[in-house]
Amino acid sequence: LLLRAARPLLAGAGRGTALGTAPGTAPSTAFSTAPPPEKKRWHRAYLELQRLQAPPQRRSEKPNWDYHAEIQAFSHRLQENFALDLLKTAFVNPCYIESEEARRRQLGLDKDAVALQLQDNTGLAEQGLRFSRAYLAQCFEGAYPELPAKGIEALVNFLTSQELVSYVAQNLSIQDLALCRDFPTPPDVLQRTFLAVIGALLESSGPERTGIFVRDFFIPQLIGKDLFEIWEVVNPMGLLLEELTKRNISAPEPRITRQLGVSTVLPVYFVGLYCDKKILAEGPGETLLAAEEEAARVALRKLYGYTENRRPWDYSKPKQGLAAEKAISSN
Amino acid sequence: MTGRGSPSRFLAAVLHNGVGRYVRQLQRLQLLFSPTAADARGARQFVEEAAQDFARQHPDVVLYVSPHSGPGQAPVLRAEYLNGTVREELVASRTSEEIVQLATKLANQSGLDIIRIRKPFHTDNPSIQGQWHPLTNKPSILTVQGPRLQPQ
Repeated sequence: LLLRAARPLLAGAGRGTALGTAPGTAPSTAFSTAPPPEKKRWHRAYLELQRLQAPPQRRSEKPNWDYHAEIQAFSHRLQENFALDLLKTAFVNPCYIESEEARRRQLGLDKDAVALQLQDNTGLAEQGLRFSRAYLAQCFEGAYPELPAKGIEALVNFLTSQELVSYVAQNLSIQDLALCRDFPTPPDVLQRTFLAVIGALLESSGPERTGIFVRDFFIPQLIGKDLFEIWEVVNPMGLLLEELTKRNISAPEPRITRQLGVSTVLPVYFVGLYCDKKILAEGPGETLLAAEEEAARVALRKLYGYTENRRPWDYSKPKQGLAAEKAISSN
Repeated sequence: MTGRGSPSRFLAAVLHNGVGRYVRQLQRLQLLFSPTAADARGARQFVEEAAQDFARQHPDVVLYVSPHSGPGQAPVLRAEYLNGTVREELVASRTSEEIVQLATKLANQSGLDIIRIRKPFHTDNPSIQGQWHPLTNKPSILTVQGPRLQPQ
Protein backbone atom coordinates (compact mmCIF):
# COMPACT_ATOMS: atom_id res chain seq x y z
CA LEU A 1 0.00 0.00 0.00
CA LEU A 2 1.32 3.43 -0.96
CA LEU A 3 0.60 6.68 0.85
CA ARG A 4 1.84 10.21 0.22
CA ALA A 5 2.65 12.35 3.25
CA ALA A 6 0.20 15.15 3.72
CA ARG A 7 2.88 17.68 4.69
CA PRO A 8 4.37 19.77 1.88
CA LEU A 9 7.90 18.67 1.12
CA LEU A 10 10.42 21.12 2.56
CA ALA A 11 12.90 22.98 0.42
CA GLY A 12 16.08 21.16 1.45
CA ALA A 13 18.95 23.09 2.93
CA GLY A 14 22.53 22.65 1.76
CA ARG A 15 24.39 19.45 2.47
CA GLY A 16 27.60 20.81 3.96
CA THR A 17 29.08 18.84 6.81
CA ALA A 18 25.84 17.04 7.51
CA LEU A 19 26.78 13.95 5.46
CA GLY A 20 29.50 13.22 7.93
CA THR A 21 27.13 13.41 10.86
CA ALA A 22 24.15 11.59 9.41
CA PRO A 23 25.68 8.12 9.79
CA GLY A 24 27.03 9.26 13.15
CA THR A 25 23.57 9.72 14.68
CA ALA A 26 22.97 6.08 15.49
CA PRO A 27 19.50 5.29 14.15
CA SER A 28 17.48 3.09 16.43
CA THR A 29 13.72 3.38 16.82
CA ALA A 30 13.97 7.14 16.23
CA PHE A 31 11.35 9.48 14.80
CA SER A 32 11.72 10.44 11.18
CA THR A 33 11.69 14.10 12.23
CA ALA A 34 15.08 13.81 13.93
CA PRO A 35 16.49 16.97 15.46
CA PRO A 36 19.04 18.72 13.27
CA PRO A 37 22.47 17.14 13.72
CA GLU A 38 24.35 19.39 16.08
CA LYS A 39 27.97 20.05 15.48
CA LYS A 40 28.98 19.86 19.15
CA ARG A 41 29.78 16.30 20.18
CA TRP A 42 28.48 16.70 23.72
CA HIS A 43 25.19 18.06 22.42
CA ARG A 44 24.75 15.11 20.10
CA ALA A 45 25.52 12.72 22.99
CA TYR A 46 22.98 14.52 25.16
CA LEU A 47 20.26 14.36 22.49
CA GLU A 48 20.98 10.68 21.95
CA LEU A 49 20.65 10.03 25.68
CA GLN A 50 17.33 11.91 25.72
CA ARG A 51 16.08 9.84 22.82
CA LEU A 52 17.06 6.58 24.52
CA GLN A 53 15.52 7.56 27.83
CA ALA A 54 12.22 8.72 26.35
CA PRO A 55 9.27 6.55 27.52
CA PRO A 56 8.06 3.98 24.98
CA GLN A 57 5.30 5.25 22.73
CA ARG A 58 2.57 3.49 20.83
CA ARG A 59 3.30 3.03 17.13
CA SER A 60 0.13 4.99 16.36
CA GLU A 61 1.58 8.04 18.11
CA LYS A 62 4.80 7.97 16.12
CA PRO A 63 4.98 9.58 12.67
CA ASN A 64 3.95 7.68 9.53
CA TRP A 65 0.84 5.85 10.63
CA ASP A 66 -2.32 5.25 8.64
CA TYR A 67 -4.83 3.09 10.50
CA HIS A 68 -6.95 2.11 7.52
CA ALA A 69 -3.93 1.13 5.43
CA GLU A 70 -2.50 -0.86 8.32
CA ILE A 71 -5.79 -2.72 8.78
CA GLN A 72 -5.91 -3.57 5.08
CA ALA A 73 -2.30 -4.76 5.13
CA PHE A 74 -3.10 -6.85 8.22
CA SER A 75 -5.86 -8.70 6.42
CA HIS A 76 -3.66 -9.25 3.35
CA ARG A 77 -0.79 -10.46 5.49
CA LEU A 78 -2.93 -13.16 7.09
CA GLN A 79 -4.22 -14.07 3.61
CA GLU A 80 -7.80 -13.66 4.73
CA ASN A 81 -10.69 -11.55 3.49
CA PHE A 82 -12.00 -9.68 6.45
CA ALA A 83 -15.04 -7.41 6.48
CA LEU A 84 -13.11 -4.27 7.39
CA ASP A 85 -15.72 -2.74 9.67
CA LEU A 86 -15.93 -6.00 11.68
CA LEU A 87 -12.15 -6.08 11.88
CA LYS A 88 -12.01 -2.50 13.11
CA THR A 89 -14.61 -3.35 15.75
CA ALA A 90 -12.47 -6.31 16.80
CA PHE A 91 -9.60 -4.00 17.72
CA VAL A 92 -11.67 -1.71 19.94
CA ASN A 93 -11.34 -2.68 23.59
CA PRO A 94 -13.76 -1.60 26.34
CA CYS A 95 -10.95 0.01 28.36
CA TYR A 96 -10.27 2.28 25.39
CA ILE A 97 -13.89 3.36 25.14
CA GLU A 98 -14.00 4.12 28.86
CA SER A 99 -10.79 6.11 28.81
CA GLU A 100 -11.88 8.07 25.74
CA GLU A 101 -15.24 8.91 27.29
CA ALA A 102 -13.54 9.97 30.52
CA ARG A 103 -11.17 12.17 28.55
CA ARG A 104 -14.04 13.77 26.67
CA ARG A 105 -15.93 14.36 29.89
CA GLN A 106 -12.84 15.99 31.36
CA LEU A 107 -12.62 18.28 28.34
CA GLY A 108 -16.13 19.39 29.18
CA LEU A 109 -18.11 18.14 26.19
CA ASP A 110 -21.86 17.64 26.62
CA LYS A 111 -23.39 14.20 27.03
CA ASP A 112 -24.14 13.54 23.33
CA ALA A 113 -20.60 14.25 22.27
CA VAL A 114 -19.14 12.19 25.12
CA ALA A 115 -20.74 8.89 24.10
CA LEU A 116 -18.53 7.23 21.46
CA GLN A 117 -20.26 5.55 18.56
CA LEU A 118 -17.93 2.56 18.82
CA GLN A 119 -18.82 -1.01 19.65
CA ASP A 120 -16.33 -2.91 21.72
CA ASN A 121 -14.97 -6.34 20.96
CA THR A 122 -16.25 -8.43 23.89
CA GLY A 123 -18.99 -10.11 21.82
CA LEU A 124 -16.59 -10.99 19.00
CA ALA A 125 -13.99 -12.17 21.53
CA GLU A 126 -16.46 -14.55 23.16
CA GLN A 127 -17.50 -15.93 19.79
CA GLY A 128 -13.89 -16.39 18.79
CA LEU A 129 -13.02 -18.14 22.05
CA ARG A 130 -15.97 -20.52 21.81
CA PHE A 131 -15.23 -21.38 18.21
CA SER A 132 -11.50 -21.89 18.78
CA ARG A 133 -12.04 -24.15 21.76
CA ALA A 134 -14.66 -26.24 19.99
CA TYR A 135 -12.63 -26.49 16.81
CA LEU A 136 -9.37 -27.39 18.58
CA ALA A 137 -11.17 -29.98 20.72
CA GLN A 138 -12.56 -31.53 17.59
CA CYS A 139 -9.14 -31.53 15.87
CA PHE A 140 -7.57 -33.34 18.80
CA GLU A 141 -10.41 -35.83 19.08
CA GLY A 142 -9.86 -36.69 15.45
CA ALA A 143 -6.09 -36.84 15.61
CA TYR A 144 -5.65 -38.58 18.96
CA PRO A 145 -8.75 -40.74 19.39
CA GLU A 146 -7.30 -42.54 22.42
CA LEU A 147 -6.65 -39.35 24.37
CA PRO A 148 -9.20 -38.95 27.18
CA ALA A 149 -11.38 -35.87 27.60
CA LYS A 150 -9.22 -34.44 30.36
CA GLY A 151 -6.15 -34.59 28.16
CA ILE A 152 -7.93 -32.84 25.28
CA GLU A 153 -9.23 -30.22 27.69
CA ALA A 154 -5.70 -29.64 28.99
CA LEU A 155 -4.35 -29.22 25.44
CA VAL A 156 -7.14 -26.82 24.48
CA ASN A 157 -6.69 -24.83 27.70
CA PHE A 158 -2.99 -24.55 27.00
CA LEU A 159 -3.55 -23.34 23.45
CA THR A 160 -6.16 -20.76 24.44
CA SER A 161 -4.28 -19.65 27.55
CA GLN A 162 -3.39 -15.99 28.02
CA GLU A 163 0.36 -16.55 27.69
CA LEU A 164 0.26 -18.36 24.40
CA VAL A 165 -2.42 -16.27 22.74
CA SER A 166 -0.78 -13.01 23.77
CA TYR A 167 2.59 -14.31 22.51
CA VAL A 168 1.08 -15.17 19.14
CA ALA A 169 -0.72 -11.81 19.01
CA GLN A 170 2.49 -9.96 19.88
CA ASN A 171 4.33 -11.58 17.01
CA LEU A 172 1.52 -10.72 14.61
CA SER A 173 1.87 -7.11 15.81
CA ILE A 174 -1.69 -6.88 17.05
CA GLN A 175 -0.46 -4.54 19.78
CA ASP A 176 0.10 -1.85 17.12
CA LEU A 177 -3.47 -1.99 15.86
CA ALA A 178 -5.32 -2.64 19.12
CA LEU A 179 -6.98 0.38 20.68
CA CYS A 180 -6.59 0.17 24.43
CA ARG A 181 -5.98 2.38 27.39
CA ASP A 182 -2.59 1.11 28.64
CA PHE A 183 0.73 0.93 26.86
CA PRO A 184 2.47 -1.52 26.57
CA THR A 185 -0.65 -3.57 25.90
CA PRO A 186 -1.32 -6.02 28.75
CA PRO A 187 -1.53 -9.72 27.78
CA ASP A 188 -5.22 -10.16 28.57
CA VAL A 189 -6.08 -7.31 26.21
CA LEU A 190 -3.94 -8.93 23.50
CA GLN A 191 -5.68 -12.25 24.08
CA ARG A 192 -9.11 -10.64 23.88
CA THR A 193 -8.20 -8.73 20.73
CA PHE A 194 -6.82 -11.79 18.95
CA LEU A 195 -9.90 -13.84 19.84
CA ALA A 196 -12.05 -10.96 18.62
CA VAL A 197 -10.14 -11.04 15.31
CA ILE A 198 -10.98 -14.74 15.07
CA GLY A 199 -14.61 -13.88 15.83
CA ALA A 200 -14.59 -11.23 13.11
CA LEU A 201 -13.16 -13.75 10.65
CA LEU A 202 -15.86 -16.20 11.65
CA GLU A 203 -18.55 -13.65 10.82
CA SER A 204 -16.96 -12.51 7.57
CA SER A 205 -15.66 -15.74 6.02
CA GLY A 206 -17.51 -18.56 7.72
CA PRO A 207 -16.48 -21.50 9.89
CA GLU A 208 -14.34 -23.37 7.38
CA ARG A 209 -11.82 -20.64 6.71
CA THR A 210 -11.78 -19.69 10.36
CA GLY A 211 -11.03 -23.30 11.23
CA ILE A 212 -8.06 -23.31 8.85
CA PHE A 213 -6.90 -20.02 10.38
CA VAL A 214 -7.08 -21.40 13.94
CA ARG A 215 -5.26 -24.53 12.82
CA ASP A 216 -2.49 -22.56 11.12
CA PHE A 217 -1.74 -20.31 14.05
CA PHE A 218 -2.42 -22.39 17.14
CA ILE A 219 -1.37 -25.93 16.31
CA PRO A 220 2.28 -25.08 15.40
CA GLN A 221 2.66 -23.90 19.00
CA LEU A 222 2.53 -27.57 20.05
CA ILE A 223 5.71 -28.33 18.10
CA GLY A 224 8.46 -29.53 20.40
CA LYS A 225 6.13 -29.81 23.40
CA ASP A 226 5.57 -32.99 25.34
CA LEU A 227 2.10 -34.10 26.41
CA PHE A 228 2.86 -34.12 30.11
CA GLU A 229 4.45 -30.68 29.98
CA ILE A 230 1.04 -29.37 29.03
CA TRP A 231 -1.21 -31.79 30.91
CA GLU A 232 -0.29 -32.10 34.56
CA VAL A 233 -0.86 -35.65 35.71
CA VAL A 234 -0.17 -36.21 39.40
CA ASN A 235 -0.49 -40.00 39.48
CA PRO A 236 0.50 -41.47 36.10
CA MET A 237 0.49 -45.03 37.43
CA GLY A 238 -3.13 -44.73 38.54
CA LEU A 239 -4.13 -43.30 35.19
CA LEU A 240 -2.28 -46.10 33.43
CA LEU A 241 -4.13 -48.72 35.51
CA GLU A 242 -7.44 -47.13 34.51
CA GLU A 243 -6.50 -47.14 30.85
CA LEU A 244 -5.38 -50.76 30.94
CA THR A 245 -8.55 -51.93 32.69
CA LYS A 246 -10.54 -50.17 29.99
CA ARG A 247 -8.68 -52.19 27.39
CA ASN A 248 -8.91 -55.41 29.43
CA ILE A 249 -5.18 -55.75 29.89
CA SER A 250 -3.89 -57.01 33.21
CA ALA A 251 -2.11 -54.72 35.62
CA PRO A 252 1.53 -53.95 34.80
CA GLU A 253 4.38 -55.48 36.77
CA PRO A 254 7.37 -53.21 37.19
CA ARG A 255 10.81 -54.80 36.90
CA ILE A 256 14.27 -53.27 36.87
CA THR A 257 15.69 -53.81 33.39
CA ARG A 258 18.94 -51.88 33.65
CA GLN A 259 20.76 -50.14 36.38
CA LEU A 260 24.00 -48.21 36.60
CA GLY A 261 25.90 -46.72 39.48
CA VAL A 262 23.63 -48.07 42.20
CA SER A 263 26.07 -47.35 44.99
CA THR A 264 27.03 -43.91 43.70
CA VAL A 265 25.51 -40.48 44.10
CA LEU A 266 23.99 -40.54 40.59
CA PRO A 267 22.36 -43.90 39.98
CA VAL A 268 20.34 -44.60 36.86
CA TYR A 269 17.56 -47.16 36.95
CA PHE A 270 15.54 -48.32 33.94
CA VAL A 271 12.22 -49.78 35.04
CA GLY A 272 10.17 -51.77 32.55
CA LEU A 273 6.43 -52.36 32.87
CA TYR A 274 5.34 -55.84 31.84
CA CYS A 275 1.75 -56.93 31.16
CA ASP A 276 1.39 -60.70 30.92
CA LYS A 277 5.17 -60.91 30.69
CA LYS A 278 5.21 -58.70 27.58
CA ILE A 279 6.96 -55.36 27.71
CA LEU A 280 4.71 -52.30 27.68
CA ALA A 281 7.15 -49.45 28.27
CA GLU A 282 10.49 -48.66 29.84
CA GLY A 283 11.54 -45.50 31.57
CA PRO A 284 14.65 -44.14 33.28
CA GLY A 285 15.01 -42.38 36.59
CA GLU A 286 17.37 -41.44 39.38
CA THR A 287 15.49 -43.46 42.00
CA LEU A 288 13.35 -46.55 41.57
CA LEU A 289 10.14 -44.61 42.22
CA ALA A 290 11.04 -41.92 39.75
CA ALA A 291 11.91 -44.53 37.15
CA GLU A 292 8.62 -46.34 37.66
CA GLU A 293 6.69 -43.09 37.29
CA GLU A 294 8.59 -42.24 34.13
CA ALA A 295 7.87 -45.72 32.75
CA ALA A 296 4.16 -45.16 33.45
CA ARG A 297 4.34 -41.85 31.57
CA VAL A 298 6.08 -43.46 28.60
CA ALA A 299 3.38 -46.15 28.57
CA LEU A 300 0.65 -43.51 28.61
CA ARG A 301 2.29 -41.62 25.76
CA LYS A 302 2.39 -44.81 23.71
CA LEU A 303 -1.22 -45.64 24.48
CA TYR A 304 -2.47 -42.17 23.59
CA GLY A 305 -0.35 -41.97 20.46
CA TYR A 306 1.37 -38.75 21.53
CA THR A 307 4.96 -40.00 21.26
CA GLU A 308 7.78 -37.83 20.00
CA ASN A 309 8.08 -39.81 16.79
CA ARG A 310 4.39 -39.63 15.85
CA ARG A 311 3.36 -38.43 12.41
CA PRO A 312 3.51 -34.62 12.25
CA TRP A 313 0.28 -32.66 11.99
CA ASP A 314 -1.23 -32.55 8.54
CA TYR A 315 -1.64 -28.95 7.40
CA SER A 316 -2.42 -29.73 3.80
CA LYS A 317 -5.98 -30.79 3.32
CA PRO A 318 -8.68 -28.28 4.15
CA LYS A 319 -10.93 -29.51 6.90
CA GLN A 320 -14.26 -30.87 5.72
CA GLY A 321 -17.22 -28.51 5.98
CA LEU A 322 -19.13 -30.96 8.18
CA ALA A 323 -16.49 -30.91 10.88
CA ALA A 324 -16.43 -27.13 11.13
CA GLU A 325 -20.20 -26.85 11.17
CA LYS A 326 -20.40 -29.41 13.92
CA ALA A 327 -18.06 -27.14 15.85
CA ILE A 328 -20.52 -24.28 15.48
CA SER A 329 -23.59 -26.27 16.36
CA SER A 330 -22.02 -27.83 19.42
CA ASN A 331 -21.34 -24.38 21.05
CA MET B 1 36.27 -10.86 15.63
CA THR B 2 35.90 -14.59 16.07
CA GLY B 3 32.59 -16.35 16.40
CA ARG B 4 32.79 -16.28 20.18
CA GLY B 5 33.34 -12.56 20.29
CA SER B 6 30.39 -11.57 18.15
CA PRO B 7 26.77 -12.49 18.86
CA SER B 8 25.24 -15.56 17.25
CA ARG B 9 21.89 -17.30 17.16
CA PHE B 10 20.31 -20.55 16.03
CA LEU B 11 18.25 -20.92 12.91
CA ALA B 12 14.65 -20.13 13.83
CA ALA B 13 11.40 -18.86 12.41
CA VAL B 14 9.12 -16.38 14.10
CA LEU B 15 6.03 -18.25 15.38
CA HIS B 16 6.95 -21.35 13.29
CA ASN B 17 6.19 -19.29 10.16
CA GLY B 18 5.59 -21.48 7.15
CA VAL B 19 4.45 -24.56 9.07
CA GLY B 20 0.85 -23.36 9.09
CA ARG B 21 0.73 -20.58 6.53
CA TYR B 22 3.34 -18.13 5.36
CA VAL B 23 2.98 -14.65 6.85
CA ARG B 24 5.22 -11.95 5.42
CA GLN B 25 7.25 -10.68 8.33
CA LEU B 26 7.74 -7.18 6.94
CA GLN B 27 5.09 -4.85 8.31
CA ARG B 28 5.92 -1.44 6.90
CA LEU B 29 8.57 0.34 4.91
CA GLN B 30 9.24 4.04 5.39
CA LEU B 31 11.18 5.83 2.69
CA LEU B 32 12.50 9.09 4.10
CA PHE B 33 14.33 11.35 1.69
CA SER B 34 14.91 14.96 0.88
CA PRO B 35 13.17 16.47 -2.17
CA THR B 36 16.17 18.42 -3.39
CA ALA B 37 19.34 16.71 -2.20
CA ALA B 38 21.58 15.19 -4.84
CA ASP B 39 22.05 11.78 -3.24
CA ALA B 40 18.29 11.28 -2.91
CA ARG B 41 17.88 11.24 -6.71
CA GLY B 42 17.50 7.47 -6.80
CA ALA B 43 14.94 7.61 -4.03
CA ARG B 44 12.95 10.27 -5.90
CA GLN B 45 13.05 8.20 -9.08
CA PHE B 46 11.95 5.15 -7.12
CA VAL B 47 8.95 7.07 -5.78
CA GLU B 48 8.04 8.33 -9.24
CA GLU B 49 8.50 5.09 -11.17
CA ALA B 50 8.65 1.93 -9.10
CA ALA B 51 7.01 2.59 -5.75
CA GLN B 52 3.44 2.01 -6.88
CA ASP B 53 4.33 -1.28 -8.59
CA PHE B 54 6.15 -2.40 -5.47
CA ALA B 55 3.18 -1.48 -3.32
CA ARG B 56 0.81 -3.35 -5.61
CA GLN B 57 2.96 -6.45 -5.65
CA HIS B 58 3.23 -6.43 -1.86
CA PRO B 59 -0.26 -5.62 -0.55
CA ASP B 60 0.66 -6.75 2.95
CA VAL B 61 3.44 -4.18 3.34
CA VAL B 62 2.47 -0.57 4.08
CA LEU B 63 4.80 1.79 2.21
CA TYR B 64 5.14 5.30 3.63
CA VAL B 65 6.88 8.04 1.66
CA SER B 66 7.74 11.16 3.60
CA PRO B 67 10.28 13.93 3.70
CA HIS B 68 13.26 13.79 6.01
CA SER B 69 13.00 17.02 7.89
CA GLY B 70 16.11 18.74 9.15
CA PRO B 71 18.95 20.01 7.01
CA GLY B 72 21.09 17.38 5.36
CA GLN B 73 19.68 14.01 6.39
CA ALA B 74 20.65 11.13 4.16
CA PRO B 75 17.81 9.22 2.47
CA VAL B 76 16.94 6.11 4.42
CA LEU B 77 14.67 3.09 3.99
CA ARG B 78 13.33 1.97 7.36
CA ALA B 79 11.81 -1.52 7.63
CA GLU B 80 9.67 -2.58 10.58
CA TYR B 81 9.03 -6.27 11.20
CA LEU B 82 6.33 -8.16 13.03
CA ASN B 83 8.58 -9.14 15.91
CA GLY B 84 9.46 -5.48 16.56
CA THR B 85 12.82 -5.21 14.81
CA VAL B 86 13.45 -1.95 12.98
CA ARG B 87 16.13 -1.95 10.28
CA GLU B 88 17.38 1.15 8.56
CA GLU B 89 19.18 0.99 5.25
CA LEU B 90 20.90 4.00 3.74
CA VAL B 91 19.81 4.52 0.14
CA ALA B 92 21.99 7.55 -0.60
CA SER B 93 23.38 7.57 -4.15
CA ARG B 94 21.59 4.42 -5.20
CA THR B 95 19.63 3.99 -8.38
CA SER B 96 15.93 3.26 -8.48
CA GLU B 97 16.48 -0.40 -9.49
CA GLU B 98 18.87 -0.93 -6.61
CA ILE B 99 16.29 0.47 -4.22
CA VAL B 100 13.67 -1.90 -5.62
CA GLN B 101 16.03 -4.82 -5.10
CA LEU B 102 16.79 -3.66 -1.58
CA ALA B 103 13.12 -3.27 -0.75
CA THR B 104 12.38 -6.76 -2.11
CA LYS B 105 15.24 -8.18 -0.06
CA LEU B 106 13.87 -6.52 3.08
CA ALA B 107 10.39 -7.78 2.29
CA ASN B 108 11.62 -11.37 2.11
CA GLN B 109 13.54 -11.25 5.39
CA SER B 110 12.18 -12.06 8.80
CA GLY B 111 12.92 -9.62 11.57
CA LEU B 112 15.46 -11.86 13.29
CA ASP B 113 18.93 -10.41 13.84
CA ILE B 114 21.47 -10.59 11.03
CA ILE B 115 24.20 -12.24 13.05
CA ARG B 116 26.11 -15.48 12.66
CA ILE B 117 23.78 -18.47 12.49
CA ARG B 118 25.38 -21.30 14.38
CA LYS B 119 23.97 -24.17 12.34
CA PRO B 120 22.27 -24.01 8.94
CA PHE B 121 19.65 -26.50 10.14
CA HIS B 122 17.21 -26.86 13.00
CA THR B 123 14.87 -29.63 14.01
CA ASP B 124 12.37 -30.10 16.79
CA ASN B 125 12.41 -33.91 16.46
CA PRO B 126 16.08 -34.81 16.44
CA SER B 127 15.50 -38.50 16.99
CA ILE B 128 12.93 -40.81 15.40
CA GLN B 129 13.90 -44.17 16.84
CA GLY B 130 14.97 -42.75 20.16
CA GLN B 131 18.14 -40.97 21.26
CA TRP B 132 21.06 -43.33 21.84
CA HIS B 133 22.23 -43.68 25.42
CA PRO B 134 24.94 -46.04 26.72
CA LEU B 135 22.39 -48.68 27.68
CA THR B 136 20.54 -48.78 24.36
CA ASN B 137 21.95 -51.95 22.86
CA LYS B 138 23.02 -53.63 26.07
CA PRO B 139 20.89 -56.59 27.15
CA SER B 140 18.64 -56.00 30.15
CA ILE B 141 19.15 -57.82 33.46
CA LEU B 142 16.01 -59.84 32.84
CA THR B 143 17.32 -61.51 29.69
CA VAL B 144 17.68 -65.17 30.56
CA GLN B 145 21.03 -66.68 29.56
CA GLY B 146 20.09 -70.25 28.82
CA PRO B 147 22.30 -73.23 27.97
CA ARG B 148 23.43 -73.28 24.36
CA LEU B 149 21.42 -75.68 22.25
CA GLN B 150 23.45 -78.54 20.85
CA PRO B 151 23.53 -78.65 17.05
CA GLN B 152 21.09 -81.36 15.83
